[in-house]
Amino acid sequence: MIVSRRILIGVLALTGIHAWAADEAVSQLSPADLAQAVKQDNFSVPTPGELLAALNKVGKPNWQAQYRAPIPTAYTSRPQIALNLGGLIADGYIAVEAEDSQQVKNIGKDILTLAKTLGINQNVLRRGKSIEDFAENNEWSTLKEELEATQNEVKLAMDEQHDEELTTLVTLGGWIRGTEAVSGWIANNYSGPAAKLLRQPAIIELLRSKLATLPPKTQEDELVKGLDPRLKSLQDMVSFPPGQTPSQADVKKLNDAAADLISSITKR
Amino acid sequence: MKLFFPSAILIAALALGPAAARADTDTDAEVAAHRAVLDLAGAFTNDGFKLRDGDHTGTLKPGEALVIQVNLYAGNQYWFSVGTSDPKTMVSVQLYDETGKLLKTDPYTNANRAATGFAPDASGPYYVRVADTLGTPATYCLLYSYK
Repeated sequence: MIVSRRILIGVLALTGIHAWAADEAVSQLSPADLAQAVKQDNFSVPTPGELLAALNKVGKPNWQAQYRAPIPTAYTSRPQIALNLGGLIADGYIAVEAEDSQQVKNIGKDILTLAKTLGINQNVLRRGKSIEDFAENNEWSTLKEELEATQNEVKLAMDEQHDEELTTLVTLGGWIRGTEAVSGWIANNYSGPAAKLLRQPAIIELLRSKLATLPPKTQEDELVKGLDPRLKSLQDMVSFPPGQTPSQADVKKLNDAAADLISSITKR
Repeated sequence: MKLFFPSAILIAALALGPAAARADTDTDAEVAAHRAVLDLAGAFTNDGFKLRDGDHTGTLKPGEALVIQVNLYAGNQYWFSVGTSDPKTMVSVQLYDETGKLLKTDPYTNANRAATGFAPDASGPYYVRVADTLGTPATYCLLYSYK
């Protein structure tokens, strides 16, 4: 909605608020500003919900078609559990978009099961109960907030028990699963505006840089060891120029790569 | 790009109550900054915007500015809101594209609270710059909402 400056000033005058154009702004950030910009996991990396919200603007996705079969929940590798927790949280967003209360409850249970295996169940358990209640009452908007809060609780609990490195893997798992679901829908319901949503070069660049700083023990995990080359491949696919539109074949290729990676992450 | 500034948001901003409590590890200044920004950003929620459950908090020294990367999706609308701990300070927030060029956005400033609204045409990285405009040290809290 565009509101004229005159109306805006009138509203502000009535309310006693002072507003003005940000004339102290610099018109151009320097290359050093851009290079040194803060990049923060829970601010710079969008939630899966933001991507799904954008896709809802360019189509009417059948979100149920993006469900996947229930994944195993008995992993022994902590990095693998973290990656799958992120993926399940993305599944939760998809189920909320589908307004499917039973699916939300099923996913909530799986999230709790995985969280318990990491010993981080206290606050997350409380969130799990809330998710179940909100799903029961079809409170979809609140559920989106609850899912994000759950993801943050999981990460906070990881920090508290000195598993900080796993938080990157939760974010990464969510991003890959979200990209898989969204690219899957776009590949089957192709349109230019939808395909352009898949441009996410800085997100994967940030996640790869965080992976590179994981402790050696985590990097030696078999699954983690194989992630970077495949993420580099995904990065190439989502790093097209701003004005370019990926073709349907490009989107399919991205979907195949994301699905293949998710399959590796869930494999026991 | 599209600009938007629902006037109802401004009015609603005045009626909002105190913000939620923060984690035990936050300083008093961080809690105050968070409360200040929620007073503003909470109002966007009334207009259908979802508040991202994550923020960036820090301290601006005189002459310093924060630049933080965000990744936005075309079609969504965003509000970036910032508040500081001290009502006597004055703060501004601007948005830049991935080449560092200042974008035309809907700015709003009210002393120690400011916001800027934007609806990107292109998905990708953008940069938010927060600056104190009076040269006074201030603890700030930055967050964003989307719909």
